Amino acid sequence: MKTLIVIREKDYGWLSPFFPGVNPLVMPVCNKPFIEFLIDFSILAGSSAIRIISDGPLNEVERYCEDGSRWGVDVSYASILGNDSIETVIEKNRKYCADQRLLIISGYLFIRYENRQELRHCFAMASGGTLAENERGSIVLAGTPEITGQLPAATPFSLVEFDSIDNYFRLSAEILKEYPSPYVLPGYCNEPDCHIGRNVVIGKGAEIRKPVIIGNNVQIMKGAVVGPSAVVGSNVIIDRESTVSRSILLDNTYIGEQLEVVDRIAAGNILVDPRSGVSIAMEDPHLLSSLPGSAHIGSGLFRYLFHAIVALLLILLLSLPYLMLVPLLKIQGKWKTGSFTFHDIRQGKNLRFVMPSIADEGGIGSLAKALSLDRFPMLFRALAGTIAVIGSFPVEVSHRLEAGYAATGYRPAVFSYAEAEDWPVNAEDSAIVEQFYAAHGSPVRDMVLTIKAFLNRIHSKVQ
Amino acid sequence: MDFRIDMSNGQPVGIASLDGRLDAENCGDLQTFCQSWLKETSRLVFDCTGLDFLDSSGLGTIVSCLRKSLEQDGDLKLAALSPQVSMVFELTKARKLFSIFPDADNAVRSYASGDKA
Amino acid sequence: MTVEEKKCHDLTIVSINGSLEASSVPGFMKSSPALTDSQSIVIDLAGVDFLDSSGLGCLVTIARKKREQGGDVRLACLNEKLRRVFEVTQAFRLFDIYDDAESAATTAANK
Repeated sequence: MKTLIVIREKDYGWLSPFFPGVNPLVMPVCNKPFIEFLIDFSILAGSSAIRIISDGPLNEVERYCEDGSRWGVDVSYASILGNDSIETVIEKNRKYCADQRLLIISGYLFIRYENRQELRHCFAMASGGTLAENERGSIVLAGTPEITGQLPAATPFSLVEFDSIDNYFRLSAEILKEYPSPYVLPGYCNEPDCHIGRNVVIGKGAEIRKPVIIGNNVQIMKGAVVGPSAVVGSNVIIDRESTVSRSILLDNTYIGEQLEVVDRIAAGNILVDPRSGVSIAMEDPHLLSSLPGSAHIGSGLFRYLFHAIVALLLILLLSLPYLMLVPLLKIQGKWKTGSFTFHDIRQGKNLRFVMPSIADEGGIGSLAKALSLDRFPMLFRALAGTIAVIGSFPVEVSHRLEAGYAATGYRPAVFSYAEAEDWPVNAEDSAIVEQFYAAHGSPVRDMVLTIKAFLNRIHSKVQ
Repeated sequence: MDFRIDMSNGQPVGIASLDGRLDAENCGDLQTFCQSWLKETSRLVFDCTGLDFLDSSGLGTIVSCLRKSLEQDGDLKLAALSPQVSMVFELTKARKLFSIFPDADNAVRSYASGDKA
Repeated sequence: MTVEEKKCHDLTIVSINGSLEASSVPGFMKSSPALTDSQSIVIDLAGVDFLDSSGLGCLVTIARKKREQGGDVRLACLNEKLRRVFEVTQAFRLFDIYDDAESAATTAANK
């Protein structure tokens, strides 16, 4: 049997606004990425191959699941468009779907089951049709039964209501309490209700109260109290004398000293009250902030050096024209400055800076624009390392979500990669180019592309 | 920051309306204003209906206003905290220091009845 | 880079072999009139081993021009490497992507 897992962006639309940096497909439920629960289920149902299909990004899912060899199944991926019907989805995956029984899990669903053995039996005997369904999605089986026999009176699995942050919160707490759990949870567990990951440091006088699950690389400082009913992700620090109970801390979160996190979800600097759905982004790093993920540490220094060198060269090149032309433009009133706030994903905070714009009606205005003098002040930011020389157009913080930027591909910069190419005609095209080079860039290529972007701007004005 | 004196209880209660953001950039203003308010009355109410965001320096300022009014045998009561602002108070345990009311009227009335909320 | 063309259910399937990048895009655009007319086509990418942002740009541009004239482009048989390029650039949002060229042509013809 093969499985199609079809999850659309609209299926998890309720979750994405809360945690913009987390792909809901790998959103941890009790420290286990959501998608793994569906993979487990598919495997228990007897699948040997699973294809994960979405109209949204699958990067993070792929990074986590890879080719599925760790579960002993084939995991593959495919893209669809948002309004494709399930028939179209099957049509688009004709080659994969041919000649086998097919289990189609459609929707952002959480499937509850108790007995792992029963599932395979049930699926082997079940004839085609909809096996379970709610307003959020369905589980459908296509093809003839593998063996004949008496089906169990009740289906051994059911769909859990999973469509609000409160549901998510309660589900986590429920799974944590269940013992023995049908879902294998990550971490070392030698007594009921207590899972502890690798490299967990527990300070003097700190208390751990069951039920609790703690991820990897976690520091619980002196006098802190964790639990009962706490889900602590990986790469988390809970500082001195703070209390975390009946709460979920997602990965890479720092909880400051002497705080009380009760009935909350914390993710980086975001704090959510799951009951009311209210969330707040804290701006005090000593209270709540995001910790750099392990992947970021040490990387990028070389790249930064290259960018700083290019920025310096451009500053040297442009300082003379800047000093000559800008005062003239100011007198003519063509040099306007606007304040601008953008979100720096790397540092997880908002940065505000002044960005000039040039009213461009021929003459000096055009010359200044051709020389990219409007970008000149930003070059100093690049020299300081706050932004890159080349990357994405900095997106105003309020537009960030609408722009649909993948958290990984967005790197605010003085010049955009899109300016180095000739074909992009709209913002969507520019985003494609920016994300292409964000993934396929190298310091040397960045340097070449910066020069290309710079020359392109001159070129477009000369024409 | 609006400030008015309410005499409905017979004694003066100062009601200050906070709005927008209260953070490192503007908490100094509140500090100064508060000093002048305390000269008129030590019984204060901060009406937070319009307060959308509070950071730790803002919180620190409110706590120091509380301390000063307590020193003058008054009190500082808070009214109409938005859910977001309320979360900051809970997270930092500052909530326990204050009497908090659903709206300014209730807060003012509590001064007359001696309610501690 | 080589380009092959075949008909399937009255639809042209254009198969590309080799790399689609800045240097080969102009040649590719001239290789077949089917790429520039208003008819729907299927582009079979099974043999493409390298695609850069100009190559992507060329596919986006072909699709845009055809859609303006009522046609469409469907892509078929993306290999692992290409699928990753479409994934990181989010270009998957712009195309109907099939894992089989014939199935893409059949359903396009029936539409």
